[in-house]
Amino acid sequence: MVYQLPPWAALAPTLLFVAVALVLFVIDSINPDTENRLLLAATATAGSLAAAGVSVWYLLAGTGEAPIRLFQNTLVVDTMSLFFAFVFASVTALVVVASYDYMRDHSYQAEYYALVALAASGMTLMPAANSLAVVFISLELSSLPSYALVAILKRNRGSVEAGLKYFLIGALSSSILAYGISLVYAVSGSLLLPQVAEAASVEGLTGVLGIGVLMVLGGFAFKTASVPFHFWAPEAYEGAPAPVSAFLSSASKAAGFAVAFRVFTVAFPVETYVQTAAASIDWVLAVQILAVVTMTLGNFAAATQDTVKRMLAYSSVGHAGYALIGLAALTGGNDQFVLGASMAHLLVYGFMNTGAFLFIALAEYWSVGRTFEDYNGLATRAPFACAAMTVFMFSLAGLPPFGGFASKYLLFAGAVGAGFWWLAAVGAINSALSLYYYSRVVKAMWIEEPSSEFAIESKPVGLYAAIAAAAVATVLLLPGFAPVWEYAQSAAAALVA
Amino acid sequence: MVPVQYYLLVSAAVFCIGVFGILTRRNALVFLMSVELMLNAANINLVAFSRFHGNLTGQMFSLFTLAVAAAEVAIGIGIILVLYRNFADVDVTNATTMRW
Repeated sequence: MVYQLPPWAALAPTLLFVAVALVLFVIDSINPDTENRLLLAATATAGSLAAAGVSVWYLLAGTGEAPIRLFQNTLVVDTMSLFFAFVFASVTALVVVASYDYMRDHSYQAEYYALVALAASGMTLMPAANSLAVVFISLELSSLPSYALVAILKRNRGSVEAGLKYFLIGALSSSILAYGISLVYAVSGSLLLPQVAEAASVEGLTGVLGIGVLMVLGGFAFKTASVPFHFWAPEAYEGAPAPVSAFLSSASKAAGFAVAFRVFTVAFPVETYVQTAAASIDWVLAVQILAVVTMTLGNFAAATQDTVKRMLAYSSVGHAGYALIGLAALTGGNDQFVLGASMAHLLVYGFMNTGAFLFIALAEYWSVGRTFEDYNGLATRAPFACAAMTVFMFSLAGLPPFGGFASKYLLFAGAVGAGFWWLAAVGAINSALSLYYYSRVVKAMWIEEPSSEFAIESKPVGLYAAIAAAAVATVLLLPGFAPVWEYAQSAAAALVA
Repeated sequence: MVPVQYYLLVSAAVFCIGVFGILTRRNALVFLMSVELMLNAANINLVAFSRFHGNLTGQMFSLFTLAVAAAEVAIGIGIILVLYRNFADVDVTNATTMRW
């Protein structure tokens, strides 16, 4: 007989991150003045790699094919939650490895890594949430450490300002989410997502329910940095330490989408809420508007920036708009395809965007400067890192032969297949625009003459390793897109089929 | 017994007071208090409808909300402390080294 793991072992990615955070606290309390940052970074890296490995193992072994329901159905582990756990764990591993060099002079090393691990544990819990209570708690578990991470450079005014703005908007949107959940509960009498789905048939309270659904959507818009709660994103990404920006703009955003996918397909399904409700609550229309506005605003704002980090921040808002297509095209009868494409895009985006922000981290490590002009002629000094950055830029723009091409192509194809050709058209126009500002970086690095003299003293091993790993993943994701696509499809099937 | 709709009105009023405070006040600490009002508006709903529906789910969730709100304030006060150290003020409009 094959040995069977207990059901709670399905939560292994989350448990591993919690364990890493606790181990880091223990190391720190035994020796608070430790200078051994290698030990701390290695612990966090080992934990994240183990979490990524476990997620892949579970996916390959088919653990989530029959959903595992835990704690009276408030948590559900299926292909979708494991797929996203892999995304978060691999982004966390990249960020932690890069932080080894970037945070070298920081005095609170153990706290930094522990906060990253705690935020990651909240993120891995979010796609598994099957109750609005767990949605709220896990979202806060990933948000609260993130506020502290953004403001962790306590003497840097930019970092503190970014942390303040992130916190203020985060606190506002979490209370909006809580109020929305309370309204949904008022109508449905339950917090479990499948039972909330039945609330649409309640007569007479559709108005209350509709406001609740919209407020829940607002709470997720904050987490995904979508309009109308995107204001924090450029500030937080610009002011935060660059590895933290990478973490927030890739993993945290994907977590917001993961939980939004599950809540809006399981708790507010299109059939009962939009099409046959007593009075239709058309959240799909709201998401369509948000997707178009988010794409357009993010890309136009990115095109006007002077600093590279802020440009990437706005491009991250634009990518939130692309990923929203997964929800916006849900009424077209092509649900599984388009939702899976959105998930696959978030996975590819996790690698290419993390890599791009880690290149910024490398530039900050060398004190290169922030504007496009400061990057002039960088390729003559660090050709390898600049080649990797070029890969990230073209992949973010959606050019072949990189992973970003495949996922974006399938996403737009899915929107067209669902009958929303105009969503795909807006997306394609925005992608064309994005090529302009992404290639500005490439042009500065490779074509422009160096404007100022500066010497690169050292080549940090951790940052280089993380950037190389992200670049290799971005390139390999085009030939290796088939398995990603397959698992994204079965993850989407867990929600809508 | 008070009809349950009245609780919705009370909580909506408390929520709007919170929103008003956030939109008009510039002191970061008042901002925190306003957020607390908004979270407690949610708690009023949860507790009232928990009784209306005859299950304890809402009351339990309101306890979780309280705990999360406390944790949120702890982080918030920490950030406001470093804000004061760097900008010598708790006015949220003072921190503008980056443009909006």
